[in-house]
Amino acid sequence: MDDRLIAAGLDIGSATSKVVLLENGKLLAYKIVPTGAESALSARRVFEISLGLTNLCLTQVGCIVATGYGRVIVPFAHETVTELTCHARGAHWLFPSVRTILDMGGQDCKAIRCNQDGQLENFVMNDKCAAGTGRFLELIARVMGLSLDELGQLSLEAETEIKINSTCAVFAKSEVTTLIREGHDKRDVLAGLHAAISARVYSLLRGVGVEPDFAITGGIGKNIGVVTSLEKRLGVKALVPEEPQIVGALGAALFAWDKLRR
Amino acid sequence: MPEESTSAKKYLRTTLEVSALRKKYYAESLGETGRRKVAWCSNGIPSEILEAMDVNSVYVENYATVCASKRLSSGFCRAGERAGFSQDVCGYARILMGYLLGGSDTPERPYGGLAQPDFLVVNSYSCDSRLGWFATMHQTLGIPLYVLDSPYQPEGGCTDAANVVYTESQLTDFVGFLEEQTGARLDRNKLRLKLDMSRRASDIQTEIYEMRKAVPSPMGAGDAYTVVWPGMVLTGTKACDDFYEKLRAEVSGRVENRIGIVPEEKFRLLWSGLPFWYNMALLNYFEKFGGVVAIENAYFRSQKSLPSQHEDPIKDMAISSTKRRSYAGDIEERIGLTLDIVRDYHIDGVVLAYNTSCRMMYILQPELKNALDRFGIPNVNIECDMADERTYSEGQIKTRLDAFIERMLSAQK
Repeated sequence: MDDRLIAAGLDIGSATSKVVLLENGKLLAYKIVPTGAESALSARRVFEISLGLTNLCLTQVGCIVATGYGRVIVPFAHETVTELTCHARGAHWLFPSVRTILDMGGQDCKAIRCNQDGQLENFVMNDKCAAGTGRFLELIARVMGLSLDELGQLSLEAETEIKINSTCAVFAKSEVTTLIREGHDKRDVLAGLHAAISARVYSLLRGVGVEPDFAITGGIGKNIGVVTSLEKRLGVKALVPEEPQIVGALGAALFAWDKLRR
Repeated sequence: MPEESTSAKKYLRTTLEVSALRKKYYAESLGETGRRKVAWCSNGIPSEILEAMDVNSVYVENYATVCASKRLSSGFCRAGERAGFSQDVCGYARILMGYLLGGSDTPERPYGGLAQPDFLVVNSYSCDSRLGWFATMHQTLGIPLYVLDSPYQPEGGCTDAANVVYTESQLTDFVGFLEEQTGARLDRNKLRLKLDMSRRASDIQTEIYEMRKAVPSPMGAGDAYTVVWPGMVLTGTKACDDFYEKLRAEVSGRVENRIGIVPEEKFRLLWSGLPFWYNMALLNYFEKFGGVVAIENAYFRSQKSLPSQHEDPIKDMAISSTKRRSYAGDIEERIGLTLDIVRDYHIDGVVLAYNTSCRMMYILQPELKNALDRFGIPNVNIECDMADERTYSEGQIKTRLDAFIERMLSAQK
């Protein structure tokens, strides 16, 4: 008899779909793929890839929990949990001392407070505005002819920080385009842009109150420029997971694991 | 797949009667065109005076909610915006301005439309946008506008004599305006009768609010936001009195027999602010998780009417209106009122409706959120206009509500 208990968490976000597989409560594998136009297909695809990586089949996975905006369209999920609760759970598993989490995803930003057990205590979301989201940074990278991965490091090389006045993604893009045309150094513009993003999310964080320890999850956690700017503004060091994009899926997998071990 | 209904599920038989009352009201209102003077009014205008003066009163904000509940708000709002009104302007105002200025490029008017107004009456009480909106309608329609001014109401009400005198002078002046418009004199005995009826209906509503403290909840917000209508539009009429008598009997029966909204009540919510009229089903969303929106603060009343003290009914009205404890008053007062509701109605969490185009409602919510956080009361804010359904985003709102529910249920474990 197979004594392996496999739990899976799927986070179907607006930009990427993530899977985390746990074996007997320990991380077995994870996978991230872009979410296409069909979220349901992306969910199936990323799940199949992760099963392929581990030589597992669907019937061997004891429980699947879906999260993210696309959580309701995962036909093979046993349960759904919101990404807010999942990020709290996942971040707490990685950093048990964490109490405040900033999830900066493709489509929105969420400031989350959790208790000592990793349970969601409070949250504030910015889901009406694209500024400060992954989509916005993708747009800026395209405008500057850079890859998304280059933005953070380049901004740290800035000599000065050019102030970006617009807080709207569309207007900020126009402002950045103008600044580049005027001959400003991309690094200085990026430093200003990251400062503008950190100022926006700082307001969001104040909505829940920043209690240490503080962690950043979501794709923008990979942008060292935004992380550094935010740390400076908050005056605290941020805990950033090795792979910040999978924290929601990890939380979902932990909820699935809870079900299995009962 | 058929589209899900956006109407709230009603649990009380009496609530279902509102639809017929509303239909009758609008039909009669249109049918009386030419026989009685028609006043387009803002909410808060004392309908008893209009009734006593035999004026056909039409409450335009209520009509905007009707347009929204029939999913017609987008068309009217777009027409209002084409006429130059920003999306930041009150959703009710945009609907009515679209109704007035949109021409043939607007949706079909619910109930055949509104009776053409002879004059406009607006109250300065609670909402500043209304003043600009009514002034614009005054210019657009070229008909007289009367502004009934109310003094600022600090915490506890403005009970000093000067405010009562001022309010009385305003009401007297308003009567003068109506007498000028109608060519008739106010019959004070008739006004007294109307006020007595209105007091009775108001006190019954207060009793019903009191009954709603019961666990399990005998009447949720889905019913409550509907049954508020006769009290806003038909005040001072027998139909209104009869309706609330019947409603009281039904709610009382549900309390006695412990009939709730959900089989096993796991959590009770307060809805702070206005509902989203185009998606009232959202008020029932919590029921599948064992939750019920047990109470709402927007039209809340906890005080019985003051007894008649003066021979002159206008003086009584002035005293009553300066002593009310209201959601539309001072911010501290509104926060205090909401915290009292949380305590008295055994509330586990609060949904804060951030109606961005309704400054009067919106301005409270951040302060209220701070107060709720201070007391450790779970809350969630959802940002939408109360009437313009284009601002509603299903995925985003459901994510917030789901997380809020998860938070409350996990805290109960």
